[in-house]
Amino acid sequence: MNVTLTLLASKTAAHLSQLLGRGGGGALPGVVAEMLDPHLSGKLAAGLSGGVIVVTGTNGKTTTTKLIGEILSAHGVKVVTNSSGSNLKRGVVSALIAAADMRGKMTATVGLFEVDEASLRLVAPEIKPTHIIVTNLFRDQLDRYGELDTTAKLIGEGIAATSAELYLNADDPLVASLAKYAGKPADVHYFGIEGVPVNPVGEHQTAIDSDRCPECHSRLEFSRVFYGHVGHYRCPKGDFSRPAGEVVITNVETADRMGSRFVAAIRGKRSTYDFPLPGTYNLYNALAAISLGQGVGIGVELIQQTLAVTQAAFGRVERVEIDGRTLVLLLIKNPAGFTQVLQTFVIGREAVRAMFVINDLAADGRDVSWLWDVPIEALAGSNPTVLTAGIRGSDMAMRLHYAGVKSTPAASLAEGIDALVAATPVGETAYILPTYTAMLEVRKLLQSRSKTMQEMPR
Amino acid sequence: MSQTIVIAHLYPREMNIYGDMGNIISLVKRLEWRGLRAEVRQVEIGEAFDWEAVDLVFGGGGQDSGQLAVGADLVRHGDKLREMAKAGVPMLVICGLYQLFGREFVTGGGDVIPGIGVFNANTRAGSVRMIGNVVAKNDELGALVGFENHSGATKLDKGQLPLAKVSKGCGNNPKSGYEGAVSGEAIGTYLHGPVLPKNPQLADKLLLAALKRRHGVQELQPLDSSFELAAAKVAATRPR
Repeated sequence: MNVTLTLLASKTAAHLSQLLGRGGGGALPGVVAEMLDPHLSGKLAAGLSGGVIVVTGTNGKTTTTKLIGEILSAHGVKVVTNSSGSNLKRGVVSALIAAADMRGKMTATVGLFEVDEASLRLVAPEIKPTHIIVTNLFRDQLDRYGELDTTAKLIGEGIAATSAELYLNADDPLVASLAKYAGKPADVHYFGIEGVPVNPVGEHQTAIDSDRCPECHSRLEFSRVFYGHVGHYRCPKGDFSRPAGEVVITNVETADRMGSRFVAAIRGKRSTYDFPLPGTYNLYNALAAISLGQGVGIGVELIQQTLAVTQAAFGRVERVEIDGRTLVLLLIKNPAGFTQVLQTFVIGREAVRAMFVINDLAADGRDVSWLWDVPIEALAGSNPTVLTAGIRGSDMAMRLHYAGVKSTPAASLAEGIDALVAATPVGETAYILPTYTAMLEVRKLLQSRSKTMQEMPR
Repeated sequence: MSQTIVIAHLYPREMNIYGDMGNIISLVKRLEWRGLRAEVRQVEIGEAFDWEAVDLVFGGGGQDSGQLAVGADLVRHGDKLREMAKAGVPMLVICGLYQLFGREFVTGGGDVIPGIGVFNANTRAGSVRMIGNVVAKNDELGALVGFENHSGATKLDKGQLPLAKVSKGCGNNPKSGYEGAVSGEAIGTYLHGPVLPKNPQLADKLLLAALKRRHGVQELQPLDSSFELAAAKVAATRPR
């Protein structure tokens, strides 16, 4: 089908959806376009003269994509991106459609997309990424993909369908092993952390997701573990080891709940970065963005300036002022992310006030068993104020009960927010840890009560 | 000195998927709350293990790569585990280890991984992934709730008792209508969730069997199960 007709139909669908009060339609134009012309994304992406960057992996996709987008924009590049987090093929297609004029000419020069792990192999052959970043691989909604090894293979298929430059997390063995799918070794760039202070969560560590040698399946030996299976490792038989990073964090000077100051070396040349997103997991997101930024020729100074003023993506360390209190939204999607969030914000803090909101809709993962892979036990003993809500709030309450943590179920999400605010003295902070669809509900409720809250991108 | 039971945890590093560790937490806590104690000993690949002191055996599910490594090691303990099952040692094995407690597992490539034959059952890798919430009924324990996620289809021999009759979900295979297997006090199941926290009656059945054998305990002190029942009630209403 003719590109203009497909665009007309899909753009009309988006407008109609907006008129009907269903929002910008998110992935809807993509759905319509896919039916009319499954190759539309390829035709449109071919017009992106500056290249196509793709970010995939379990955690950190949205934040990394946001950081790279800000760096590119600061550099004066016009970017098309799927910032609403709609990261299946139809979401990518929708973003491309929105950035195309009626004749299919792109208003942007660079494509920047976060792409779901299993969708990469469907998206990549069409939009032909020139740069692919893989953040990490953790168990996440395994009810969708089966197992982690399967997820790695799916990403590998996507990579193999391109001749992209690869930016891989050297500290995640399964991610580092994806280098084998690269067109040629020179296309592979690694980033990693040399040293970072680690806040232990106690004896109840999360289950290690991937501690086997990708080559011979021997158990890897770790000399350092930053979180989960991310760290410095080698195969005892010598079949695989952590590759040296081109871009590495050599030192973290300060790290607290407001952010970090760290030193990163690009091929040995060191610079200091101030970065307002807290937690080790966010250091990796910054590293990925620095790696990509310098890889496409952007100067260190501009990257430093951009990272210093960035804000978290929606629902991820999002701070909201309510009646003189600060509520911090901390999206949780899987054991690794949940544990990182606990470690960064909750554990070791006096007077913890938190509400867990657990849903089990498709976008959250139907299976809630992962709550048991999180070392909630670390909360016991600090006598925290804990509320539970969401479709599976009762599962979370039971998990807390078995961890020795007292909690109170909220009759509804709105009442839970009220109770959390009431339990928090003016000027103090409380945390809301929601799963994905719960985060959307929480934001909607908070939006009517806070002037500082921004709208979700469409 | 409180009464202690020893729990053997099979291959916790490889077989710990979908929150199956929560089953150990459930067993340990439900003893603690009654003033009793558990000692958990881990069975590791290639390492010696003393089965004599063991009162209860638990093993969870894992990823394919882990299951291959575990399958090769488990046969070392096959004779002992079969003998213990016959002697009435309570056991709970889930998903991957349930499959390996059967006679054999045939992979998608046609390779045969021998099991240890505690259950008279065979499992074949299938192309259909059975994923979703499960409700299954056992005559003694009532409704069991959980979440299944497997493509292996398990077929029980004639005479092998299933654990429960499925009212929502697949269970052993897409056609049978039954879930899991029971041989004496040994139980195999596909239920994650994890299964014991949301089905405390099953946890207590295993614990009582272990306490009876070791310490002659005849009944368990009842516990307030309101958290467990609330979670199970919601789980039972969730779509497949």
